[in-house]
Amino acid sequence: MKVADALKEFDLAKCVQCGKCTASCPSGRESNLRTRRLVFLLKSGADITADKDLWACTTCYTCQERCPKGVKVTDAIIRIRNSAARAGNRPSIHLTAIRSLLDSSDGFPITPEIAKVRSMIGLPIDPWDVAHDTEQKEKFRRLVRSLAINDMLEESR
Amino acid sequence: MTYALFPGCIARNMYPSIEKSTSLVFKELGLEMVDVKFTCCPAPGVIRSYDFDSWLVIAARNLAAAEERQADLITICNGCFGTLEAAHRHLRKNPEAMGMVNEKLSAIGMSYRGRSEVKHFVDVLDGRLEDLRGKVKVELGLKVAIHYGCHYLKPSCESGRNVESPVVLERIVQALGCESVDFPERLSCCGAGGGVWSGDESVSLKILDRKMRFIKGSGADCILDICPFCHLQLDQGQKRLKERYDVPVLHLNQLIGLSFGIKDKVLGVHTHMVATRDIAKKAKRARLDIKVDA
Repeated sequence: MKVADALKEFDLAKCVQCGKCTASCPSGRESNLRTRRLVFLLKSGADITADKDLWACTTCYTCQERCPKGVKVTDAIIRIRNSAARAGNRPSIHLTAIRSLLDSSDGFPITPEIAKVRSMIGLPIDPWDVAHDTEQKEKFRRLVRSLAINDMLEESR
Repeated sequence: MTYALFPGCIARNMYPSIEKSTSLVFKELGLEMVDVKFTCCPAPGVIRSYDFDSWLVIAARNLAAAEERQADLITICNGCFGTLEAAHRHLRKNPEAMGMVNEKLSAIGMSYRGRSEVKHFVDVLDGRLEDLRGKVKVELGLKVAIHYGCHYLKPSCESGRNVESPVVLERIVQALGCESVDFPERLSCCGAGGGVWSGDESVSLKILDRKMRFIKGSGADCILDICPFCHLQLDQGQKRLKERYDVPVLHLNQLIGLSFGIKDKVLGVHTHMVATRDIAKKAKRARLDIKVDA
């Protein structure tokens, strides 16, 4: 997503820099994330895709809810992350979760320990899902191969 | 209405006790369910942050799978709800996105028409409050610290909910014969969302620590959540903090299961990281009291 499109789609131009977003941010208290600063930079047309603070947002949506001007702050952060990720500016550990999802269809695949817990509490060891259905899983993997996120992963392999 | 349970990855693969409790509670409530095979929702924090369109397509595959069985989806996780509800609304409002999604889905013989609704289980339970109350066999009388989490309530443009002072969980907890306790910043995030749980452990745990300090100060017997991902953070995360808080964590369907008189080991709540022993003892005593009375 281009910055100009983001400005329009998320109403970033309406920001008056009041700072309610930063004041409401649970992550900003514990990290360098200053939401008002990110919105200011975006509004000024700056490229913030290399800004690490983008990834400290827990996407709790409190800033977006409280913004008196109706700026879609959280949605904007999420979409700018798309550009950051494409440019390779992202926590590499996320690739593990993405790889797992694209390979197995589960974000968190089952471990032998959890298989034991499942059986101990009377659940079938294999959950009823696509990950444990060979035919469905193959179809899912075919779908995934047509997606941009798969290309992103292939480039990083 | 027929429902398809969307259990999500964490309830199946990390906290199967939530899957087990959910199936027992839904059965007891007589909810009409069909079995549908799903994939990861996909996780809104990471997947939507990496590629919005890929996130949409994978979510639409799950929505389409429920549509094939003419069922509404019922989620027991705020993350799954956040993804499926947001994707559903986005697709219905954006014909271009719907066209893109269906082009991808058609290659595997599926299609999305937007006919299945996405329900959070809390709303389904709230709509059957009298039924729920009637099935309570054991009034546990616990002091409960309610953790709403983020994506059940927000963004409110999608949920239409009162995000600053919600009362639905307080109402349900009361119907179960428990008491909700107030604490500062009760609606704040657990710190796990947005890819921060895996991406920045230190920040994630600092957010949790603050939350736990307030919860501990409330004198609650347990924390109540409506999301396996919050549950993971509150239960496993608690064990990774320097400070020992030792407040047991229950998913709402586990508290309901105990209130329906189902034993803790049948529900699987004994498999949590933070010991649920005291809660289980209380439930057992309450069950025995009923037998003595009878």
